[in-house]
Amino acid sequence: MSTLQSFLIVSALLFGIGLTGVLTRRNAILVLLGIEFMLNAANLNFIAFWRFGPNPEALTGVMFALFAIAVAAAEAAVGLALVIAIYRHARTANLDAVEELKG
Amino acid sequence: MSVSSSPDAFPWLSVLIFSPLVAAGIMAFLRGERLQRAWALVATLVVALGSLPLYWRFDPTTAAFQFVEHASWIPALKVNYTLGLDGISLLLVLLTTMVMPLCVLASWRYIETRLREFLVCLLVMESAMVGVFCALDGILFFVFWEAMLIPMSLLIGVWGGPRRIYAALKFFIYTMSGSVLLLVALIALRLHVGSFHIPDMMARPGSGVFQCWVFLAFALSFAIKVPMFPFHTWLPAAHVEAPTAGSVLLASILLKMGTYGFLRFCLPITPYGTQVFMPYLLGLSVAAITYGGFAALAQNDLKKLVAYSSVAHMGFATLGIFVLNEAGIEGALLQMINHGVTTGALFIAVGIIYERLHTRELARVAGLGKHMPVFATFLGVFSLSSLAFPGTNSFIGEFLVLKSAFLYSPALALCLVPGVVLAAAYMLRMLQRVAYGGPANPHHAGVKDLGFRETMSLAPLLVFVFWIGLHPEPFLRVMHASVRHLLAQANGAAAHGVFVSP
Amino acid sequence: MNPFSYLEALRLAAPETALAVAALAVLFADLGGMRGESLRHRAILGAGITAVGGAMALLWLGFAPGYGTIAEGVLVTSPLTQLVKAGLVLLTLLVAGLSLDPRFTGHVGEYFSLLLLGTIGMMVLVSTQDLLMLFLALELTSLPLYVLAGFNKRDRASAEAALKYFFFGSVAAAFLLFGFSLLYGVAGSTRLPVIAAAVALKPPDALTLVALVCVVMGFGFKVAAVPFHLWAPDAYEGAPTPAAAFIASGSKVASFAVFGIVLAQGLGPMAGGADWHGFTTGWLPLLAVVALASMLLGNLAAIAQRSVKRLLAYSAIAHAGYLLLGLMALATPANRPAALAAILYYAITYALSTVGAFGIVAVVERATGSDAADGFNGLARRSPALALCLMIFLLSLAGIPPLAGFLGKFYVFVAATRAGDGSLSLFWLVLVAIALSVVSLYYYLKLLKRAYVLPPDGAVPATRPDVMEFVVIGMTAAAVLGLGVFPRALLEPLALAIQQAGF
Repeated sequence: MSTLQSFLIVSALLFGIGLTGVLTRRNAILVLLGIEFMLNAANLNFIAFWRFGPNPEALTGVMFALFAIAVAAAEAAVGLALVIAIYRHARTANLDAVEELKG
Repeated sequence: MSVSSSPDAFPWLSVLIFSPLVAAGIMAFLRGERLQRAWALVATLVVALGSLPLYWRFDPTTAAFQFVEHASWIPALKVNYTLGLDGISLLLVLLTTMVMPLCVLASWRYIETRLREFLVCLLVMESAMVGVFCALDGILFFVFWEAMLIPMSLLIGVWGGPRRIYAALKFFIYTMSGSVLLLVALIALRLHVGSFHIPDMMARPGSGVFQCWVFLAFALSFAIKVPMFPFHTWLPAAHVEAPTAGSVLLASILLKMGTYGFLRFCLPITPYGTQVFMPYLLGLSVAAITYGGFAALAQNDLKKLVAYSSVAHMGFATLGIFVLNEAGIEGALLQMINHGVTTGALFIAVGIIYERLHTRELARVAGLGKHMPVFATFLGVFSLSSLAFPGTNSFIGEFLVLKSAFLYSPALALCLVPGVVLAAAYMLRMLQRVAYGGPANPHHAGVKDLGFRETMSLAPLLVFVFWIGLHPEPFLRVMHASVRHLLAQANGAAAHGVFVSP
Repeated sequence: MNPFSYLEALRLAAPETALAVAALAVLFADLGGMRGESLRHRAILGAGITAVGGAMALLWLGFAPGYGTIAEGVLVTSPLTQLVKAGLVLLTLLVAGLSLDPRFTGHVGEYFSLLLLGTIGMMVLVSTQDLLMLFLALELTSLPLYVLAGFNKRDRASAEAALKYFFFGSVAAAFLLFGFSLLYGVAGSTRLPVIAAAVALKPPDALTLVALVCVVMGFGFKVAAVPFHLWAPDAYEGAPTPAAAFIASGSKVASFAVFGIVLAQGLGPMAGGADWHGFTTGWLPLLAVVALASMLLGNLAAIAQRSVKRLLAYSAIAHAGYLLLGLMALATPANRPAALAAILYYAITYALSTVGAFGIVAVVERATGSDAADGFNGLARRSPALALCLMIFLLSLAGIPPLAGFLGKFYVFVAATRAGDGSLSLFWLVLVAIALSVVSLYYYLKLLKRAYVLPPDGAVPATRPDVMEFVVIGMTAAAVLGLGVFPRALLEPLALAIQQAGF
């Protein structure tokens, strides 16, 4: 098994774990963590493809990963703020208790 | 030969189409109900008078489209703004403009709420209806066709009877499903022909299977509008609930659009499909005539009675169209005009009764003739016309259709006999009850006979009943060339080069 | 590689810069000078600065458009991108016009500056050919939208809407990023043309297919297509009405534009086929299924809705289905200009009628206190002009001629039938779409019936829009009608721009 392939398998696993977390966890913070997993799986891909790609001189993969990390941070900030906003109303971060809008 | 035989600098048709819209716009600024009514009447009268020159300037010797206007509208889709008239559409346009002032007169007292909106709806309807008959571009046709839908549904849904919402929705859903098929057929033709220009479509018939599909889509959409036998159920509901003017528009003009569609699209564009499906449509027409007759005989509501008689009358029109001979199509065209005149008049008459008695039940209306002799006379003439009494307009139309049916097959003509007899039965039953029947109904005592306005709303139609009945030549004259050309197209022997796109 | 010229970048990105300056200005002005003023005055100032920034951007786009490419496609401006950007700025200004009565918040400055930042994101989104920039712009669009959806801190529904929108959006972003990373692996580059060339070389392998599915899923979330639509009804209902209008209009146009760009320029060679009984691997069959599901579920679920905002949300899902049909027409290269014009015409006119409809919802909501459909009973008697505009918007959404919605649908359907070199391969989907647009009439008519036929509920106070709301609603209604009757006003510039952009 080549090294690139093993990296890809790890990232796919990470992505899968993150997605499972998002779908099964009922706590907003844990869902947020799952999303971070998924984003970082993609980052791992970028780094792996850059490192084992045809021209590692062009820093595209690294740049993409760096930007993605920054964006993920911003996203986490917004997400936590929204979780706090809902916590103020519902006094819980449990998503099952939040369901009010239906139709 | 080009499409336009007499290049006319003045855009007659555009002016005719858009002046009611302009009048509707002005209506928005008028205060006071009297003024609004008067303005609507003046506007429709002016449009009616303005449409008369079309008849004088029309050249009946050619089948080409006249008064053609052409402008590019959406070049990206090859959609154009193309208008034109031929012998098939001319009379329908005139019928539309003539009926409109009568509609305004018929709703003079009937409409008590939101008068301004009502009159705006009527005027918008007029624009769209004239547009449908003038359009020579598939999409333009469709746009006008759909534009009628909203004001008509509003007419039924806002100013209608107790079950108006149900009726309006039913009308809307039925016609809308029809238009969807129309749109599909137009898109299919566009892919085949490369443009939405109707004469182009006529010039390039597709393969047999393609024609059959297109024909089916067209025919279904028009059959709903006519309405032909199994698709007619929206019509009684709509008629019963609609206000008088709505019923008149529906009967006189809207139903004609179905048969007009057959003549404009099905026969010339899909001649092969027409030949294939002709027997079935003839069968449905016979079914409509007989079924409409029986159903009308069973009705106790005057409007329902007239509505079912419409189904039967339009059956004659579709029958005439699909026997595919000259007498048939001319008879059908004349039948369309006649039905517009006669049934329109009958609906106005029912409206007059309703304004006085607030009922349309045959039993409670019985004996009205004693107190309203003038009205009874009018009703008598229109009923006779409706059952195609010799000397009235419908006689000529039905006679031509019967003759054509006989030419096609004596068996078919024989099938029509019950329909003709039934027409006499249900009309005479109604006339007998309303004009002469029943013991003197006590609450009819104070009923007044027709006023001047009401007489004026019926008298013009009376003139046409006898004019067409006694001297139909001025009406048939303009049809001959176009009908012959249409038949040549439908029989697959279109003279090459008659239609060239501009 | 050419030396990077900041001056050139500034020239090409001048409209975005103008908006960015306005975003900062509105923040400082509100925080600095307007502390003690009334909410209304602060909103007028905020909207004023927004309008000035938008006007500057529009002027720049109209009179001094710079065309060019920066850093091999990171920023590309062409007549097409400038036209779409002008549309986006216009939509933002309309939304700003609806925001003059911000009862939902005390943070007026932040509200308008987020609105502007979101717009900048959308503008960058449509003018890039690089996946990195695309991802950044997408996030720059999404983050302000999440916050705007939750802007009413006092309202629990608003917070819930924002949280749902956020979760779904972030998962979509993660999918998109994962798909992008795989595309980068396949092509060794993040530039769309290079990706297209790489994809065209070999038959699609597992890696590209996973990437494809991820990308379609990511964008599917953004455009609210079934089965990725679950956020839309809640977000529309819970968000403050002007914010919902912004989510439904501007973000929709930008998402579809960028989805189209990615499909046509990056993944064009692997379209596959979606003939009836003849699916072949690629994005066409994916989109076919998603479009079919969106049209079906959107139209059928809309019938049951009691909240008008939810109804608009489900109708938005259905419209996403129609638009996906247009995207599918991009598969045939010869058909691309027509298909792109159809999508953009549809999206822009749809956005206009949606903004107008939300404007009316905002007015009715203020009078009755909720967006329930009952509140529309007898609107025609309370406010005839408003009812007339509502009729124009709803009938345009339903696709009744001569309104713009009809032509948009028509244009998209014609484009779709011509996909696949005239083989009518997508005709079955067009038939379904046409049939379902009849179904859609039913729920629009039900709402119109309330407005026109039913009597008003006794105690409802007068329903009067304020001046700017009335101007916005009137202008959008006029535009929807005008673009329906004279579609050339939009279609011809679009066709010209598409031609010049080299599609």
